[in-house]
Order: sequence, then C-alpha cells, then structure tokens
Amino acid sequence: MRTISYFLLVAAATLVAASASAQAPLYQKCLLCHGRPGFKKVMPDGKVLELFVNRAELENSIHAKLHCTDCHADVMEIPHLKRPGRVNCYRCHYKDNPNGALPANEFFQSVHGKLVARGDPKAPLCQNCHGGHSVQKVDSPLSTVNHQNVASTCGTCHKPQYDNYIQSIHGTALLDRHIRSAPTCTTCHGKHLILRPSNPESNIYPLNVINVCSKCHENKELIRKYNIPGGRISTYKESYHGVADEFGSVRVANCSSCHRAHLILPQSDPRSSINKANLAKTCSKCHPNADVNFTKGKIHVNYKSRSSGIIYYIGLFFEILTLSTLTVLFIHILLDLFRRYRAGEIGKKKEHD
Amino acid sequence: MEGGYDEARNKFIDGLEKSLVESLGIQGEPELIEMTKGLVRAETARDLDVFMGTRLKRIYRAVAKEKKARARIAEKKRWRQETFQRFNLYFRIQHIILFASVIILIITGLPIKFPNATASKILMSVMGGIAMQGVLHRIGAVLLIAFYVFHTGYTIFNKDGRRDFVALLPRPKDVTDVVKMIKYFFGLSREKPRFDRFSYIEKFDYWAVYWGGIVMVGSGLIMWLHNITLRYLPKYVYDIAREAHSDEALLATLTIVIWHFYNVHFNPSRFPGSLVWWHGKLTKEQMIDEHPLEYERIMKAREGRNG
Repeated sequence: MRTISYFLLVAAATLVAASASAQAPLYQKCLLCHGRPGFKKVMPDGKVLELFVNRAELENSIHAKLHCTDCHADVMEIPHLKRPGRVNCYRCHYKDNPNGALPANEFFQSVHGKLVARGDPKAPLCQNCHGGHSVQKVDSPLSTVNHQNVASTCGTCHKPQYDNYIQSIHGTALLDRHIRSAPTCTTCHGKHLILRPSNPESNIYPLNVINVCSKCHENKELIRKYNIPGGRISTYKESYHGVADEFGSVRVANCSSCHRAHLILPQSDPRSSINKANLAKTCSKCHPNADVNFTKGKIHVNYKSRSSGIIYYIGLFFEILTLSTLTVLFIHILLDLFRRYRAGEIGKKKEHD
Repeated sequence: MEGGYDEARNKFIDGLEKSLVESLGIQGEPELIEMTKGLVRAETARDLDVFMGTRLKRIYRAVAKEKKARARIAEKKRWRQETFQRFNLYFRIQHIILFASVIILIITGLPIKFPNATASKILMSVMGGIAMQGVLHRIGAVLLIAFYVFHTGYTIFNKDGRRDFVALLPRPKDVTDVVKMIKYFFGLSREKPRFDRFSYIEKFDYWAVYWGGIVMVGSGLIMWLHNITLRYLPKYVYDIAREAHSDEALLATLTIVIWHFYNVHFNPSRFPGSLVWWHGKLTKEQMIDEHPLEYERIMKAREGRNG
C-alpha cells in the first residue's frame, strides 16, 4: 500500500515538474504580494514579520523549478487567510526518492531534531540551516551549509560559540586564510546527528573528544602541510589524563579542557588558555592550588624523546638498569637450574624402592 | 593396630611351636615337626583366641599407645633442638604487610602502565573503574609506607633488627661468594660458597626493596600530593617522579616475579614454596645447607654456654 502511494506521489511530482518547465514560473501569483520589497506584517505583540520573497534568490536556488505550494502545501487559496505552517521537507525528501536528495533521518535523533519533535517552535528544521528560498546544493559556494559558510549559519543561534570560533586558530584559518582543511562547527559536532556533549554517543562526549581532534592532529599530511605541532595525541595518551580517559573517566581533562572548545588559540597568543601567563589559571580549573610551578616544564611530555631532557635520561637509566639486572638474574636462575640438572636433582625420575 | 596384633599373635604361636620342637628334641624330624605344628594350631590357637584374646589385645593397645606418645615427645624435642628460629614474629609480620601491599600495588598499578592491554581493561573493570583503582592503589601505598615506618623502627629499636641490618651490609665476602657460586655452577668447583646469616642473594633482595621503596614511595607521594608538591616543585619534577615510578614499578615487579619467586617457590628444592615466612624456622639440614657459617657460630655459642 505504501509503495503504491509513494509511486503515485512520485508520478504527481514528476508531472508538476514537467508542467512547471513548460509554463511561466509558477510563483508569479504569489509574488504579486510577496514580491514587493518591504512586504511585512506587524504581529499583535509588536513583532514585525518580514514576508518579502526575493525572486532572484528563488530562481537561483536548487528548487527554482518548484511551485511555491509544492513546499507551502497548506496554502489552498490566494490570498491565503491563515498563516502557513513550517515547511516540511519530507514531503519530497523521503526515503527512496529517485529525484530529490536523500533525507537525513538521523536528524530526528539529534538535539535539534528532538526539540522539533517536542514541538519547540524555535527549534531548527532543515530550512533553518540549509536555507529556505535560497536553498543550494551543499557543495555550492552559495550554500549556507557549505564548509565556509556553515559557521555563520550556526552562529545565528549559537552566537557566543560563533564569536569564539571566529577568533580561534581554526576560525581564522578557515575564514581569513581560506584553508579548506581547517575545521568548522560540523567537523567536530557532526552534521545532522548533533548530540549534547553529555550524550555518550556524541562526538564531543568527554571520552570521544580525543578521537575528534586526532582526525586532524594525528594526520601526518596535515601536520606537515600546515606545520601543526605533532605528537600531541600520543603524548596525551601517555599522560595520566590520557590513561584515565582511556579507562573511561569523564572527569579527567581531555583536549578541550585545557585548549578550550571554541576559542582554541596557539600558545604564543596572549589570549590563549595555554599561554604561559594563563596556564596556571587553566590548570586550576581542576587543580585548585595550581600556580606558576605548573607551567615549569612541558605539558605534552614525550618520555621517549631526547627533547624531554632529564625525563628522557631518567627513563634511559631505568631501561638500562632493568635490562641489565634482569639479564644477570635470569642467567643466575638458568645456571642454578643447569647445575641442579647436572647434579640429578631435576629432570630425572626419582627411584622408588 | 589390629594388623599389628595379628602379627604378634602369630609370632607367639610360632614361638610356642619352636619351643615345643626344641624341648621334644625333634629338630631333625620334619614329620614330627609338622605334627606338633598341626596340634598347636588345632588346640592352642583356638584357646588363645577364646580365653586370652581380649586381654592380649588390651595389653598390645596400651603399649602401642605409649610407644606413639613417646615418639611424639621425642620428635618435638628433636624439632626444638634441631630447628632454628630464623625470623622473629616482628620480622614475619613485616614481610606479610610488605607482600600484601606489593600485591595490591602491582595489580592496581599495572593497568595504568599498560592502558591499551586487554588484560588491563578487564582488570580495571573488575576493580570498578579508575576512580576505585585510585582508592585501592592508595590503600596499598598506605600499607607499604606503614611497612617502611615499622621496619625503620624495628631496625633501630629491636635487637634482632639491629643485628640483621648489620648482617645485611655488603661485605667483600659477598663478591668472593659470587665468584665461588659461578665456579660451582660451571662445575669448576664441587663446593657451594658457605653463606653466613644472609647470602648475597638475600642481601640483593633486601637492598633492592630498600632502593625500590625509596623510589616508589617518594615518587608516589609527589604524585599523590601533587596539589601540595607542585606548590614547591616545578612540573618537570612531577614528570620525573612519574617516569621513575612507572619504570621502577616494572623493575620491581619483574624482579619479584622472576627472581624472588624462583628463589622461594619454583626452585626445585623449595617447590611449591617454603613456609619460613609463616613460622620463621629452618631445620638443622636447611641451616647446614644454606647458612653453614651461621649454623657453626650458633653451635659454638651453645657449646660455650653448656660447657
């Protein structure tokens, strides 16, 4: 039954599309009102609703050939008396749709999708990020969810995070220096399946943060190309923080505990949380008495590198001590066993009378 | 015992036959001997069982019981005279505290050193996560520190403690003992080195624990109390402590599992383990074999006291 109704819907959609291309643009009628610049409505609470629709935007969008009522399906007459509801993209973007983009069903598992499901009128739907009338393919430079543009799109709601991000090394790299490999919001938070940091499934759940960061900070090619400090992940994993993280402690510091989540800056920057001047304050978030001594010495210690100085030599000393001691002890044991064998204490059956 | 009684009864009948044969003077005549034997079996044996059996049994049991009791007393006396109290109670308690704490510390510490090993993951979940591991490791640490405090007091204030500490100091003899032992191992000498109260093996064990304890307790405290220690020490001291703690832990674990376990458990003359740590005693044979010089010294002192 469902298959048949899908089939009918697809057939109808194809018909609409075919007739649309044959005739003049179908949104002609709607634009009689909505095409007037400054067309708006003042709500009873004094809020002003901008109702102007830019024709050029529509014609440039990927939906240029659709009729207004294909999306605003609840508009039955013109002029319409009731305020139309929010557009439901799933009318076309359903599973197995041969024409349209595939729906991102995992969206409804996300923190945004759950708010939508709960009926929050402010919760973002597809169109809030992908753009309504101006919707573009993701790889188009005009798309609001393009790698370059998505941060400002998220920033329309998440203002403080956006403000921090654009100042961070990631934000400046992407937005000012146009380095395409630099991360934006979705690189760490995911695209449709954005989850709360407290959700163990989330990319940015304390235990998963290291995996997110290591995608780039353990990528040898990126490290070489952009001169990113290497060995950050491996040294973290060797530290007690890293070990506790490995064993599932969510209290222990992960990358973002010290480097911050959004305002990530290189150590040389005086605003950076890991600048020598700010480090004690950063450490004191967890270690209440942390003071200037916390900053004397490296944080990301590579115990096996000569560059770690005395720590390396202490390790080397113990390595030599352990190997030589155990070699001597082992030889002593083997010789003792050998002597006992020769003396007939072992290896031969005891004789019973 | 009943078997023993039957044997005694048969011997009694045999004796009866023999004395009858002798007094009749029929030693050379097998047929008469057979006849005597037959008559004794037919007449006496039955009467013996019927009229004397219970009484003979009672006598047999009483004497046999007395014999056993005397043997036990003699054995006790021999054990008292021929065993040597090697370690006193304080020493044994210290060793128990030490091995209990070290076992706890090794089990709770190894997963931190090898966080990626599957065994570590299993061990950690058995312990109940890293927070619980931290608590257990610190319990082990408190026990270990208690041991060192106890041992220092013992070394200073106890007579045996002072004597043992001096006896454990390295001497030139230890070097010559090592050379002698190597010669013995290779069959160049038939004689094992003759040890005093502590062999070089035992001295090595003692000083290894001494050194290891200073490293482990020192570095462990720096890390445990890092909120205090880092107020006075720079962060790289903490890193040194961490490196040393981790490395010395592995060295100590391997030394205990390979070396100490070989010497006290897996060594063929000890397997599956000696109980000296529990009762603190060595037999005369063990003393002569393992600590001949000390044995001679003790015997000389006893003679001097007796004579």
